[in-house]
Amino acid sequence: MNRPDEHAEIRKQLALLVAGALDDEIKVRIARHTSTCADCAAELERWELISRGLRRLPTPQPSPALFERTRAMVAAQLAAQTEQRQNRTTLILLLFFSWALTLLGWPIFRFATGGLLPLLDVRFHQMWLLFAIFSALTWLAGSSAAVLLSLHHQLERRPV
Amino acid sequence: MRLFGASIRITDMAGAVASLWEGRVQFEGALEQLRRGDLNALSALIPRYQNRLYRYLLRMVRQPGEAEDLFQQTWLRVAEKIRSFDASRNFDAWLFTLARNLALDHLRRIRPSSLDAPAGNDEAGETIISRMASGGPAPLDQLLARELSSRLAAALDRLPLVYREVLSLRFEEEMKIEEIAAVMGTPLSTVKSRLRRSLEQVRQIMEAGDQGEARA
Repeated sequence: MNRPDEHAEIRKQLALLVAGALDDEIKVRIARHTSTCADCAAELERWELISRGLRRLPTPQPSPALFERTRAMVAAQLAAQTEQRQNRTTLILLLFFSWALTLLGWPIFRFATGGLLPLLDVRFHQMWLLFAIFSALTWLAGSSAAVLLSLHHQLERRPV
Repeated sequence: MRLFGASIRITDMAGAVASLWEGRVQFEGALEQLRRGDLNALSALIPRYQNRLYRYLLRMVRQPGEAEDLFQQTWLRVAEKIRSFDASRNFDAWLFTLARNLALDHLRRIRPSSLDAPAGNDEAGETIISRMASGGPAPLDQLLARELSSRLAAALDRLPLVYREVLSLRFEEEMKIEEIAAVMGTPLSTVKSRLRRSLEQVRQIMEAGDQGEARA
């Protein structure tokens, strides 16, 4: 004999039962109840109808080209990201290279031109101007190297 | 004769197990290949998940074009993050989590109102079914011979996002409750209460529609 409030308790669980989200203990309890209660068994059948229907919903189909489009898009995006990373690395390296060239090259330049500068009447106050011109030349060399490297990378990536 | 039949059945079962095993090995191989940066692995992975992932995204955003864009974004994210994927974890749950996060970001940008939480507390004790009239001939019975699928799909479409999502993951993707909890990032109890409420709402929508039709 079922308790009067047991029907409500059981019905509250039926949705979860058809969703397969109940413990074995409750499943057994529901099975025992529905075997003797026609109303709750009918209610369970209604839930099962919904559950079956949801499982059999037609699968929407994506456009046929989606697979190819996705592959191409992923490849292009990853290539672009790799290029960006390479460019960033190259830029950082060239920055270091240009500074190193400027700072290390200056004493060598002074040493090499030590005897020549006084003849050209270059004085101490003009040294800063000379250093600026020297820096500009070394940075120009650095950026030329960057452009050449970038062109080289582009040629390497170009499809044959 | 019976012995012959049994031996055929055993051979069939062994064949099925071997083919499952082979599929699993190929899948693991494709993941490893992708981890090494070989994009050819996508040829094995995308078709395997194509319909499921697209269906899930479509349930989330409801627009085919947007679902296809998100599908592409998801695979891009997979290719970017595959090295951080822990192979001991479930790939399906990881993939659907990535897709879910992208879909939610997209909806947050495009249609923030679609992310509104459904009315009522997930954990509340009172359920819609407890408020439904019980006994008597249920209108749902009359649906038996009608186009159940299209009506269910329409009902599903009218649900709030969290309910559509949980139903899709459980009934269409056939994920376990634990997997759904992992994808949604919620406790098991929340998944269960969302499942119950979503099913109740589907039933309520269908029965309301049927009663409306009966009156008309």
